[in-house]
Amino acid sequence: MSEVSEITPSYELNAASRSYGDGSVRVVALDALDITIRRGELVAVFGPSGSGKTTLLQLLGALDRPSGGSVQFEGQPLERLGDSALAELRLRGIGFIFQQFNLIPTLNAVENVEAALAPLEMSRLERREAAAMHLEAVGLAARTSHLPNQLSGGEQQRVAVARALARSPRVVLADEPTGNLDSANGEMVMELLARLHRELEITLVLVTHDEWIAERADRILRLADGRLVNDSTESLAEEVVK
Amino acid sequence: MFYIRYLGAELRRRPGRTALTALGLAVGVSLVVIVGALAAGLDDAQDEVLEPLTGVGTDLSVTRPISVPDGDTTASGDPFGQLSPREQRQLDRENEGHDAAFNYSELGEPGERFSEESLLTTSLSVPSREVTEIRELAGVSDASGSLTMRALLVEGEVPAGEVVDPHGPGAGIEFSQRTVSGVDVEKPDLAPVKPDQVTAGDYFADRRSNARGEAVVDLALARQDGIEVGDDVSVSGTDFEVVGFATAPLGGDASEFYIELGRLQALADREGRVNRIQVRATSSDEVAGLAKRIESRIGGAEVVTAADLADRVGGSLADAENLSSKLGTALAIVALLAAFLIATLLTLSSVQKRTRELGTLKALGWRQRLVVRQVAGESLVQGALGGLVGAAIGLAGAAVIDAIGPTLEASVEQARAGVGPFGQGNVASGSTDVVLGATVDPALLALAVVLAIVGGLLAGAAGGWRAARLRPAEALRSTE
Repeated sequence: MSEVSEITPSYELNAASRSYGDGSVRVVALDALDITIRRGELVAVFGPSGSGKTTLLQLLGALDRPSGGSVQFEGQPLERLGDSALAELRLRGIGFIFQQFNLIPTLNAVENVEAALAPLEMSRLERREAAAMHLEAVGLAARTSHLPNQLSGGEQQRVAVARALARSPRVVLADEPTGNLDSANGEMVMELLARLHRELEITLVLVTHDEWIAERADRILRLADGRLVNDSTESLAEEVVK
Repeated sequence: MFYIRYLGAELRRRPGRTALTALGLAVGVSLVVIVGALAAGLDDAQDEVLEPLTGVGTDLSVTRPISVPDGDTTASGDPFGQLSPREQRQLDRENEGHDAAFNYSELGEPGERFSEESLLTTSLSVPSREVTEIRELAGVSDASGSLTMRALLVEGEVPAGEVVDPHGPGAGIEFSQRTVSGVDVEKPDLAPVKPDQVTAGDYFADRRSNARGEAVVDLALARQDGIEVGDDVSVSGTDFEVVGFATAPLGGDASEFYIELGRLQALADREGRVNRIQVRATSSDEVAGLAKRIESRIGGAEVVTAADLADRVGGSLADAENLSSKLGTALAIVALLAAFLIATLLTLSSVQKRTRELGTLKALGWRQRLVVRQVAGESLVQGALGGLVGAAIGLAGAAVIDAIGPTLEASVEQARAGVGPFGQGNVASGSTDVVLGATVDPALLALAVVLAIVGGLLAGAAGGWRAARLRPAEALRSTE
């Protein structure tokens, strides 16, 4: 396990919940979660489909607002920030990796990474060089001018990893990063993420329903029906034995 | 800048969507250009027909007509019977000394041949000094007077006994009439016949004294009667030498004979009087005001402007012009609105398909205004493309219309000709064909392109705002 910072945690959730609809059609996606994620942790959010994993990730990433309770990012309550402030926070502090890669289909690999840098005050050359450097770090230096439909699944996800890390975020949130990949590519992407987590000392939260991925984490948050049913630093196998 | 490269990539790598949106706007723009060109072409065609009608420099024509009804509607058979007593007195004074009713027994012995010509009119005359005073009105550049009369020729044998109906069969009396106009030869541009209407021979000599024995004859009459340049024609018993033939413009006022004004005034016993004043205004803006001032100045005056003359012209040209003026603008507006609607719907549909992509940009830290700006920029370029393509199609369409050169007919019906048995004169009736062109107005072309660009921009802004206002989580849930 990696070393963990003792300063302000990356996240603090206090009775955080998220529901959709109202009355008889109200759906509770998350129900009063109390979670603290320290800086530098590698956390797996594990659970079956519909357990609220992606909803939790969206609250952590300030992509959505809680219906109740509080979500604090580095001590700052996200529910009190306006849309512009949340966008700024995402720009400066958080990187995202999506299950379906979410690359922009009309931009090539290096341009997709540049898209993450575009809102920053950078010259064209600086932006291009930074994007190329991050692509090289994920082993795609030779594929910079390829469009997404010219890349394999594993390569597309590596572009997404480069994009997520391009702004040197303090937190990276990955939603089923290997969900659309075969086992070989999935293993490759997980190796990459684990390495970057160690080297860059970022907080990495990844959502998965795959046990082998969860096993790689320092900590496993198990969700079921929107509730936190277990928060453990033990492996899943050890949990079962207990 | 990255945004421009992203914009270019979107347009380049989604060519179908780009082309479709641009084409929608292009159709609207091209319709505006073509409809505008046709409307301008119709205006040009109408100007071509009307220019000789309105003539060089004649903006208003002033007369004092008395309308004598066509046909006999009185028990006495007298077409003048429907005039008011005042009008009949005016007419009697106007035509004093010239009469259409003859005491045939005074013309000679029964059986003796006679020929009598009377110069008559139903247009009241005014002193020539009115011309001078009108010339001095503010807004008047120049004015000139003329006199038009009906020469009624009665020929036959002096009947024995009383003539009950001189027009009846067996009366042995023939009636014919011609119109004669007296021309101020020193103001040819304001005359009833102008030098550019002379199609054979010459116009009058430019000095009154030299023109006193000359006549210009209507070309159609000359052909009908076999009159040639150099022949003599008689007006009220006086011979004039034919110096040229003239053709009146379609819808224009036409007389059969034109002689020098002073000679006709003397023959008609109207020395120092005219019954038409032609006026040239200093500018077209002055015409309406001048018309009112002259009408108030001369009692019973009828002032005809160039616009009034244009109303005489009918036919398919007039029909097309009416249709164009009523529907042309409406059609252009509808075309542009339809194009904008198509572009908006296509843009909204396209943005809908990119909801997850735009949500990803927001997840990457793009603010809402950046997302809107990106989409609006793409639509602005599509609008510009549509505008340019539409302009090209519009120009090509106008060129095709020019090349085909469809013809329209301008006509003046015979029924519009004349105003009664002793009316002021004839109106040249018949028809002429005019080629319809399509003249593209550069200002309208530029406006249509600008509107296409603005339309694209608004469509993109609307679509971008609609997508960008979604929370990123909502946008990322989109399955498209």
